[in-house]
Amino acid sequence: MELDLFIRYGPALLSGFGVTILCWLVGSIGGLVLGFLLACLYRFGPKALGWLIYIYVEIIRGTPFMIQLFILYYGGPYVGLVLSPMQAGILSFIIYGSPYFSEIFRSGFNAIPKGQIEAARCVGLSERRILMRIILPQMLVPTTAPLTNFFIILTKETAILSVVTVPELLYETQTMAAETFTFVEPFLVLSLFYWVLVIGTSWVGERVEARVTRHLRRV
Amino acid sequence: MGDNLTDQPIIQVRNMSKYFDEFEALRDVTLDVHRSEVLCLIGPSGSGKSTLLRCLNFLEAYDGGEVLLEGELIGWKSAGASPRKALSGEALRRQRQHIGMVFQQFNLWPHLTALENVAEALIHVKGLGKKQAHEKARAALAKVNLSDKEKNYPANLSGGQQQRVAIARAIAMEPSVMLFDEPTSALDPELVGEVLSVMKEMANEGMTMVVVTHEMGFAAHVADRVAFLDSGRLVTCVPPAEIFGQVPEDPRVRAFLQTYRERNVV
Ligand SMILES: Nc1ncnc2c1ncn2[C@@H]1O[C@H](COP(=O)(O)OP(=O)(O)OP(=O)(O)O)[C@@H](O)[C@H]1O
Ligand SMILES: [Mg+2]
Repeated sequence: MELDLFIRYGPALLSGFGVTILCWLVGSIGGLVLGFLLACLYRFGPKALGWLIYIYVEIIRGTPFMIQLFILYYGGPYVGLVLSPMQAGILSFIIYGSPYFSEIFRSGFNAIPKGQIEAARCVGLSERRILMRIILPQMLVPTTAPLTNFFIILTKETAILSVVTVPELLYETQTMAAETFTFVEPFLVLSLFYWVLVIGTSWVGERVEARVTRHLRRV
Repeated sequence: MGDNLTDQPIIQVRNMSKYFDEFEALRDVTLDVHRSEVLCLIGPSGSGKSTLLRCLNFLEAYDGGEVLLEGELIGWKSAGASPRKALSGEALRRQRQHIGMVFQQFNLWPHLTALENVAEALIHVKGLGKKQAHEKARAALAKVNLSDKEKNYPANLSGGQQQRVAIARAIAMEPSVMLFDEPTSALDPELVGEVLSVMKEMANEGMTMVVVTHEMGFAAHVADRVAFLDSGRLVTCVPPAEIFGQVPEDPRVRAFLQTYRERNVV
């Protein structure tokens, strides 16, 4: 392994890693927020809206991420939406993730026993309070594990952003490989970076889960 | 005439009916619950006991007739209109504060401690400060003999203790009537007694209670009247002696009690 290769390309790889983390964090947190709003609207909004959300969820889940990205990046300008690769990448990431997040939250809502909500109504708590004080805090229990899991899946989906020239990790790795005619080393480094991201995410997920299920532990 | 106000039943059910789609769950139920009275509802499974109870605090919207709480129509804006219009959420919540309810499955909020379960509505419905609410919640927990468990989460309470916390949660709101839906049916036999004795104490202190139960001993000894439901109809509502002390006249009541006697013999 040639060390000077990594000295030369190290900064580019690191910057690629940084861009990957940025796109991943902003994209998936954005997707989480949008997904949460969708789940709330689906549950508490009018019926017609529920149908629209259902259709949205099915369409986005039914198409590959790369196609969505292409449509947004290359098709956007036709409707006056001109985006930089990074903007298009992050925006499509948000759109792509939102229905999965929304489904996780939707099943999280359903996991709260109806009796608990009835008990809350019986003592006169308002629907808003029931959401804030009874439903949301408990939703963390069934949703933390699937959310962590989906965050992990999304770490690797960021690689697709390279097709619209977002200078993320895969893009930089491919550049290095093409310019130096090495393949094993750059892709080993790439794997290492993703691995760090995955391990880190699952570590955080476990901490959060331990925290939010504390009250269920029998002592 | 002056007595009218105090003589008025706390709950008046007038020709109430309830449908689930086409299915008639309750038909033409008329029933009064008086102040400080303990009324037990008994009857076969599926006869509509829970439905009747849940109509009293509008957890189920009854269709026909009226349910009055201290003279005020529950849930609907007016009994006459057709179709009926439901009260605003705000108005319904105000009514419900006067009706406590205890469920078969306890329905405590598992992410809150015993104390927090009891204090929640004191803070967020009654608007008490945290300190005052906790004081009140402690008093309620003391009433159900659980002072030492206030910091426990429901997962670390026995079924009997959970049910007593649920009772404390309801009585802390100082309701004028308490509804119980088979409060001991989900409990191990050795835990039934502690819950029944708390309920007995409440009855002795003059709480108005409507209790759906399969505990015939409780019905026989604590109830002022026992109502028997069958297929959504109120068959009879009489003092317990008339049901348990002699052979009941109505063949449905007779058959129902017979199954209990047989089970107890074994
Ligand atoms: N939400 C509902 N939708 C449709 N049917 C219902 C609903 N709730 C109750 N029923 C029906 O209404 C009837 C009365 O039910 P209810 O739960 O009041 O009976 P119950 O006397 O409490 O029985 P149990 O002793 O088993 O608790 C039953 O036939 C039941 O299937
Ligand atoms: Mg029932």
